[in-house]
Amino acid sequence: MKIIATLWNTLKKPPVHISLGVIIIVSFFAGIVFWGGFNTAMEYTNTEEFCISCHEMEDNVYQELQSTVHWSNRTGVRAICSDCHVPHDWTAKIARKMQASKEVWGAIFGTIDTPEKFEAKRLELAQHEWARFKANGSLECRSCHDYNSMDWDRMSDEARRFMKPAAERDQSCVDCHKGIAHKLPEQMGSEDPMLARLVREATSVSLDEGQQYYSAKSVDLYTDPELTERAGVLQVATEVNIVETRGDSVKLEIPAWRKEKGFGRVLYADFGQNISSAVLDKEVAQNDSLIEVQETNVVDEMTGLPWGNVNVALWAEKGVYLENREALWETAGQTYRDACSVCHTEPAPEHFDANTWPAMFSGMVGFTNMSAGTQELVLKYLQMHSSDYVEGAH
Amino acid sequence: MAEVKSESESGSIGKRREWLAFLFVVAIVVPLLTIAVVGGYGFVVWMLQVFVLGPPGHGG
Repeated sequence: MKIIATLWNTLKKPPVHISLGVIIIVSFFAGIVFWGGFNTAMEYTNTEEFCISCHEMEDNVYQELQSTVHWSNRTGVRAICSDCHVPHDWTAKIARKMQASKEVWGAIFGTIDTPEKFEAKRLELAQHEWARFKANGSLECRSCHDYNSMDWDRMSDEARRFMKPAAERDQSCVDCHKGIAHKLPEQMGSEDPMLARLVREATSVSLDEGQQYYSAKSVDLYTDPELTERAGVLQVATEVNIVETRGDSVKLEIPAWRKEKGFGRVLYADFGQNISSAVLDKEVAQNDSLIEVQETNVVDEMTGLPWGNVNVALWAEKGVYLENREALWETAGQTYRDACSVCHTEPAPEHFDANTWPAMFSGMVGFTNMSAGTQELVLKYLQMHSSDYVEGAH
Repeated sequence: MAEVKSESESGSIGKRREWLAFLFVVAIVVPLLTIAVVGGYGFVVWMLQVFVLGPPGHGG
């Protein structure tokens, strides 16, 4: 207390022993040293060396970055952590540095100190970053990537088709380009939770012989009830008739159409429509004892190809069939709208016919993170709700 | 008070005290205050972003 009082007494009076000039010069240089030091320290916290000094960063996100284009590429320019994750504007940067106190807390208390804990938090952490990029229009991306500097003529046609409308709307990069520098959260790349729920629901559906059901996911087909001889794959949302149940197996009858050119391996849901129901192995497709032909040589006038109507009876596992397709279509429709509307207004399913959808869909689906199973279902949903199946559509 | 004054204004104790006070303020008090003010400013902006403004937007 006495020291502070003495200090205060000394400070509140004009100096007697130190000249004003000395005070000015010493203070001036002290100011330079301080500001330099402050900025140096601040810059240091923006370096990669600093970021990966905690193993949470080094073992997870830093490793993932190394397999992406932001790590190594043909131009030799690379992004370090802070280029994307720390605002470049001063005020926002200081705020972000203060926000990092949360990260210090996490490092001390081990919030994500194991790969499992990190994976469990990945979605939440990613959502924080996505929200930030959404709000600032991917400002940090644009320190390097600028719509105005994009030469449309040098872009591939496919890229230009998306980038140009995005530029016109000044769209945030991360709207479409998620998961380009780090892995996507597992929940997004893997099975759709709604679809997974339907598959679980199917396990409790009791199957009556002679009734019609629909597959809730794609199922392996076999020629024998013991399910040892593989015959092909039944696709999702396909209509089947249950012929016989034996133990954990069921004998399915798949009513289908197929092209009578080639091996006839692919079974389609309808005449002249490329909506696949199942894909058979070559030997099975050629085996007349397994394929019951109903009608043959029906020519599709559009393509001139002869089609045949067949019934194929094969064995498969139990517990993956639903009584109707409504819930499947609902899930597929929701997924379609959610995934596509991220980048553009999605066309109504009945905007195209069933044979146009596959090419349309496969050209676009790479921009989404639908799993293979979900893609199959969504494509089928679109085909079965296309202009060929909706009355009054163009 | 008058005694203290005359003591600090003259002699080596007064000179020493003055220099110590000066350097203490220049090298320690002011830098710490500056860091506290900048940090406090950052903290206030952060809290505003959390509760009022939302994430930092396009061009502030």
